[in-house]
Order: sequence, then C-alpha cells, then structure tokens
Amino acid sequence: MSRQDQMARAGRYVLGQMEGRERDDFEVAMQADAELASRVDRLAQSMQALDDTVTPGAIPPGMWKAIEARTAGMAQLGPVRAGTVVSLEAARARRRWLPAALAASLVLALGVGYLAGTRLGAPREPVAVAVLLNETDSMPGAIVQAYADDSVTLRPLRAFAVPEGKILQVWTLPDRETGPVSLGTLPRQATTRLQGPDLPLPHEGQLYEITLEPSPGSPTGKPTGPILVKGYARFSPS
Amino acid sequence: MCMKGMTAHAMPQEPMLDQTPDGWMLAMARGDRAAFAALFEAEAGRLIAIARRIVRRQDLAEEAVQEGFVSAWQSAARFDPQRGSARAWLTTIVRNRALNLIRNDARLEFHDAEDVAAIGDRAADAMAALNQLSDRDALKSCLGALDEPKRQAILLCYVTGLDHGEVAATMKAPLGTVKSWIRRGVVALQECLS
Repeated sequence: MSRQDQMARAGRYVLGQMEGRERDDFEVAMQADAELASRVDRLAQSMQALDDTVTPGAIPPGMWKAIEARTAGMAQLGPVRAGTVVSLEAARARRRWLPAALAASLVLALGVGYLAGTRLGAPREPVAVAVLLNETDSMPGAIVQAYADDSVTLRPLRAFAVPEGKILQVWTLPDRETGPVSLGTLPRQATTRLQGPDLPLPHEGQLYEITLEPSPGSPTGKPTGPILVKGYARFSPS
Repeated sequence: MCMKGMTAHAMPQEPMLDQTPDGWMLAMARGDRAAFAALFEAEAGRLIAIARRIVRRQDLAEEAVQEGFVSAWQSAARFDPQRGSARAWLTTIVRNRALNLIRNDARLEFHDAEDVAAIGDRAADAMAALNQLSDRDALKSCLGALDEPKRQAILLCYVTGLDHGEVAATMKAPLGTVKSWIRRGVVALQECLS
C-alpha cells in the first residue's frame, strides 16, 4: 500500500466513511500493520481538537446507575497479547494463490462436512448462526453456531487447502474497540466445538471469520493471514 | 478522612493514585470501580455533547455514551497509553457508537425526516467547531490551508457524522466529486499535520 493510499484509507476511517465489511477489513489490517495503526491514531488525535470544541452537556440523573448495573459482574477482557506483527503486504501476497486452491478442493469437500456433523449431538439451541462465505465466489464455506456459554460449533462445508505448517483459526469481532478475538484453531476439518473466551452474547451482524495462520495459531493473537471465509451472525428464530 | 500519616512504605504494593483519565483507565483495567465512576463524572458531559452533534437527538446521544462507557469498562485492559490518551480512546469509542446508531437501518426513518433547516444546522455546527479551534492548533491552520469545498466536506463528515452521500446532498455536489474532495483533502491534511 502506497503512503498516499495509507493516508487516504486512514482518513476515510477516522472520518467515519467506512462501513460494514470495508471497516472490519480495515480494522483487521490495522492489527497487522503498526504503521497504518499509528497513522490512524495520530490523525484521530489531531481531529479530536474539533470534538473538544463542544460545550459539555448535563449528565442525566440515573445514567451512572444504569451503567453500573450493566457492568456489575461483567467479565473484563484481557489485554491484547503483543507479538510479531506480520505485514499486510505479506498477508496479501499469500492470499493470491488461495482462490484457485479453494476451487480445486471444493469438489472433494462436498458432503464431508455434513457427514462429520452428524457425529456431534447438539441438544442446546444456538443463540446465533453465521454462514461463512468465500469472498471470491460467495460460496458457503462453513457454518458457525454460537451458544450462550461462549462456545461455538463450526461445521466446514468445503475442504480448505491448508499448507504444511499452517492451521485454520476461527475469529469473531464482538465490537470494534475489542477487535478480533480468537475462538480457537481447527486441528482437523470436521465439525468442531470450540470454547471461546468470555464474551458478551453475539449481536446481530457480528463478524465471524476463518483465517489461515502459522501453526499452532496466530503469533500475535490477532488474525495475520488471509481470510478464507467470513460471515455475519443472524439470530435463530425462536 | 486524613491519610497524611500514611507513608509510602506503608502500602508498598499500591501504585501512586493517578487522578487523570489515563490513570483511571489503567485502574479500571485492574477492576477499580471508583476509577470508573471518576472517569464517568469527568467525561460523560463532554461525550454526550459530542455524540449529540452526530446523532442530533438527546436520547440517542445518551444511548451512545452509555454503550461507550460499558464498552470502556469491558475493554479497559485494551487501552494502551502508548497509542494515545484515554480521553482520545474514549472519544473514539463514543463517536463510533454514535455513528453506528445513525447508520443503522432501523433508525432510517429519523434520518429521512430530517428537513432542510436541520441540514443547515449541521453545516453551521461544522463551521462553528472549526472557528472555535485555538489559533495555535496545527489542525486549524492545516484545515485552513485546504480549498473551501475540501475543508467543508471533511468537517461535515467528522463533526456531524454525515456519510459522503449526505455530504454530497448538503453541498449540492456530485457524489464522485465529494469522494475525491475527501480523499485528496485527508491526504493533504495529514501531510500538513506531519
């Protein structure tokens, strides 16, 4: 990404001109690119002089009580683990060969996921379901079912090409401030139940994705590799 | 209560009490609710006013700020003072919440009902914010160095949370032109600020 391009994207982000997938992708990119993140931080910090021109409003009575009640007993998230940062360019370069590899393996994959799924009895009702799609051809690649106890079941619908030394890792984006959170890795391409960290219940539209990471998992605790499939949570009709 | 008699070695594990937004955020990451209350008292009024410039409604502004504080408590350990101040971090959270509220489809009826006078208010808000910047602030001179349409487009996006389509409608300019103003404007602005 050229310097001008970086500045243009950082600007669009800080000005609130990115939405949906573009914004999610940009936030993932920032996790892997310290230079981009610091550009965003610097611009945001400068622009906030405009926010500081407001005359503070009255704080409504009861607002603090409501916040206190909402946060009572709420688990706090841990810090983001520091680690090696993989550049976005490197991730992009690796991404180029993927669509062909995916297409080649699709024929073999059909049906396997469904068979594997029958092994897993799931008496509980999921709170949300997300169908993860391959971005290039919009074909479904996996189904995520999220449960109230922070666990998810992941059912692959196609075989993903996983080179030696790589592993599939499942992520969700509870909110933009938190950033992407790992739900775990898939040692085998079969329906798998993963116990995620303590997170708020998924919300409508919450992002789930699978990336290809160095085995045994992303060295930074954040997605560094190409996104294979992604999708947004929908609530199960009750 | 007077704590004067207590010397530093009486509490060897306690870090110095830092009564700033940065200090409160760091304490919140350790589960300190008193620090959370102090941060709320100090910042909520300012944040409500910032959110109101974007969402234009008191109830939605309060919703954005309430959600923002809940999220700040939950993610306190993710605050990294190396990346910027706690006030900036919190402001970004609340701004994002406010933008989410107005970009959410469910609120569109409110958006559509906005009349011409209200759009005029937005432009006035955006310009007022620029005028109130301190003359010593580099942002003021760098925004001042931009062509008028670029400056106005950037201020409308940032201060009042319009998307580029709404900026085009407000400025009565084609969408493609507005996008290009924003792109070239933010690049020039960052060149000037660096």
